[in-house]
Amino acid sequence: MGSYLIGYTIIGLIIVFVVFSVLVRRGVMFANTPSVRRVFAHPLLHYSLRRLASSLISLVLVIIVTFFLIRLASPADETCTMLFRTPRMSEDVYNLLCDNWKASMGFEGSTIYQLGVFFYKILPLPKLLCISSVDTTTATYTITSCRTFIFDFGRIWNITGFTYGGYVIDYIGPKMGISFEIGIIAVVLEMAIGYPFGILMAKYQNGTFDKIGKAYIISVDAIPGIAYYYIWMALLCYCFKLPTVYEEGNFLSWLPAILTMAFTGCAGIGMWVRRYMLDQFNADYVKFARSKGLSERRILWIHVLRNAIVPLVRTFPTAVLGALLGTYYLENIYAIPGLGQSIMVSINSYDWSLLSAIIIISALITIVAYLLGDIVTAAVDPRISFTKD
Amino acid sequence: MPKQKEAVRSFADVDFEEGAMTEFVPDPNQEVVLSVRDLDVGFMVRGKKTHVIRNINLDIYKGKTLAIVGESGSGKSVFTKTFTGMLESNGFISNGTIMFEGQDLAKFTTNEEWTPIRGKKIATIFQDPMTSLNPLLSIGYQISEVLIIHRGMTKEEARAEAIDLLGKVKIPHPEERYDDKPFQFSGGMRQRAVIAIALACNPEILICDEPTTALDVTVQSQIIDLIKELQKEYGWTTIFITHDLGVVANVADNVAVMYGGQIVEYGTIEDVFYHPEHPYTWALLCSLPQLGTKEEPLAFIRGNPPSFGEEIVGDAFAPRSAYAMNIDFVREPPIFKISDTHWAKTWLLSKYAPKVEKPLVIQELHERMKRAAQELANQEGGDYGQED
Repeated sequence: MGSYLIGYTIIGLIIVFVVFSVLVRRGVMFANTPSVRRVFAHPLLHYSLRRLASSLISLVLVIIVTFFLIRLASPADETCTMLFRTPRMSEDVYNLLCDNWKASMGFEGSTIYQLGVFFYKILPLPKLLCISSVDTTTATYTITSCRTFIFDFGRIWNITGFTYGGYVIDYIGPKMGISFEIGIIAVVLEMAIGYPFGILMAKYQNGTFDKIGKAYIISVDAIPGIAYYYIWMALLCYCFKLPTVYEEGNFLSWLPAILTMAFTGCAGIGMWVRRYMLDQFNADYVKFARSKGLSERRILWIHVLRNAIVPLVRTFPTAVLGALLGTYYLENIYAIPGLGQSIMVSINSYDWSLLSAIIIISALITIVAYLLGDIVTAAVDPRISFTKD
Repeated sequence: MPKQKEAVRSFADVDFEEGAMTEFVPDPNQEVVLSVRDLDVGFMVRGKKTHVIRNINLDIYKGKTLAIVGESGSGKSVFTKTFTGMLESNGFISNGTIMFEGQDLAKFTTNEEWTPIRGKKIATIFQDPMTSLNPLLSIGYQISEVLIIHRGMTKEEARAEAIDLLGKVKIPHPEERYDDKPFQFSGGMRQRAVIAIALACNPEILICDEPTTALDVTVQSQIIDLIKELQKEYGWTTIFITHDLGVVANVADNVAVMYGGQIVEYGTIEDVFYHPEHPYTWALLCSLPQLGTKEEPLAFIRGNPPSFGEEIVGDAFAPRSAYAMNIDFVREPPIFKISDTHWAKTWLLSKYAPKVEKPLVIQELHERMKRAAQELANQEGGDYGQED
């Protein structure tokens, strides 16, 4: 009950905050109090609110598409037969298992009803969700635990044990944690390599370093990802004797995945940094800065770099929040129990609750990341303003 | 023109260059700041050398305004870029000297050598104020930056001085506009800010590379007046690159007419506007619409400027000139001195050249100029609005 109260307080506060700031913005309240207006009528705040509101439409679309795709890919009765029908199973047990599975996947009732339930589950209202285990010999199932959720992402279907392995949130949370731990280190590393890499290539354009860099970028682009990952695996695990399998708490075993991600990612970053830097080098203001008598070093660091970074700032939040989602191939190769491979696990085990939870969370993260991208771009580029007028 | 080549051989013994300048000497009554001798500039284009500035001799006099006029592609900008080492990376000086304060700028190669000259001694204002300023940095920062580097000021001193300079270039409320970004300024105001940066450098020479071409007509005259006013106050030497002869008449003391990478005529403003001697200068003046009358068709220069890909033989303007003689296609004309302040590079000034009748516009230049000025004065009242 505690978590549910806290959750509700937070949601209530958010609603009050949104309503209040809209009223202040419209001048209904505190029209003559500049200190209040400065905060609650800030263009950035209202831009974010508008963006979030319009993102809800994208989110609803994502949910509807996911809903219908799942039902197209796996018609309820056929999937039930495939999952549970065995020659020795009694009809009672089969029905029990099948109904239970359908109920937990939201396959009960008409399609429209199912869609309604699908949406109801992620509406911020308290919902009781229970985990049960089925006794196949007595054809009964017992409820083992119940919890109240505000966002109900459903239960994990454990295909081998005919039981629900737990709540989806409990399953996704730690996996996201693992993906993020590895991903964020990789992101920091790839930026730490990628930016200087691009800057140096641009500074010594057509020099040896630039040529080697370009060759590297092309090779990363040209070699298919999966082949490239195995090349790095060969190099890191067989030449440098790094562990090939992920182990919790053993940083050395994370290294192959981190380094592979960083070395792949830095090629893309380097390419864009180089490209934007070269664009800026040819800009008129650089010629003028040079004619003012500024040193080349000052032109590079103060004038060119800032302008070159502006279009790239947008990618920071995407990279950081994207780390939460993990990567499919690398997590598979190094057996990392992260979120990236969960999507395939959920599809293979017909765990549609898990699948839709992952898709909705990914969509949410992407939406927030893009919004943050716009906000940080505005923070570094004075030409962008959020007012309509 | 193979036929004409044949014809020339018959008078090969005559010394056409009789009376031509053998050594380039500056006007003895003026103080020279920068002196260019035998300057050649080339560009490497797709592995091929092109010759863009061909043997230019010029002296720039202290405190005076020199206007360089000519068509696009005549090499005006390239010529002045050599004074600050701002040639594109594929350009190079193949011959000649540029003497400035006892140093030969033509020998400079590294940015370290150029840094004390650029901005501090020779500043440049570019054509497009919209793109000359860094869009992300405040106007004030871009001015103070120069003050800190060139004049060794502290941040606070630089800020105060920059606000002062913004006031000098007549930006209203300079202390409020200091932190503005370029996008908050109009085109004319940006050019003023660019001029403030040039002021901050306090240079000996200010090169204005078509400073008003990208601006509104009404703003143009304000900017030109501002530059003139500041020149009087600071006493710098100005080089004005333009193809607007109206601007030239307004600002210049001396005029250099460029064609095909050469200066074809040089003189004071009176020399060039009232007694032009080179057919190209004639053609330029004739094509001024203000000098035409309603009855005659608008004059233009037929043909195209020379392509720098091919080596130019003889007088570069000959193929387009109505006054071309056979020798123009074979031998490059030397410099003929007309007076202490006036010279031109055309065979028409050779004593063996036939006397030619100048175009009607040039003959009537005095009256037509007067008339044009009168018309302009009549319009002026309503046309010039205050900017912003």
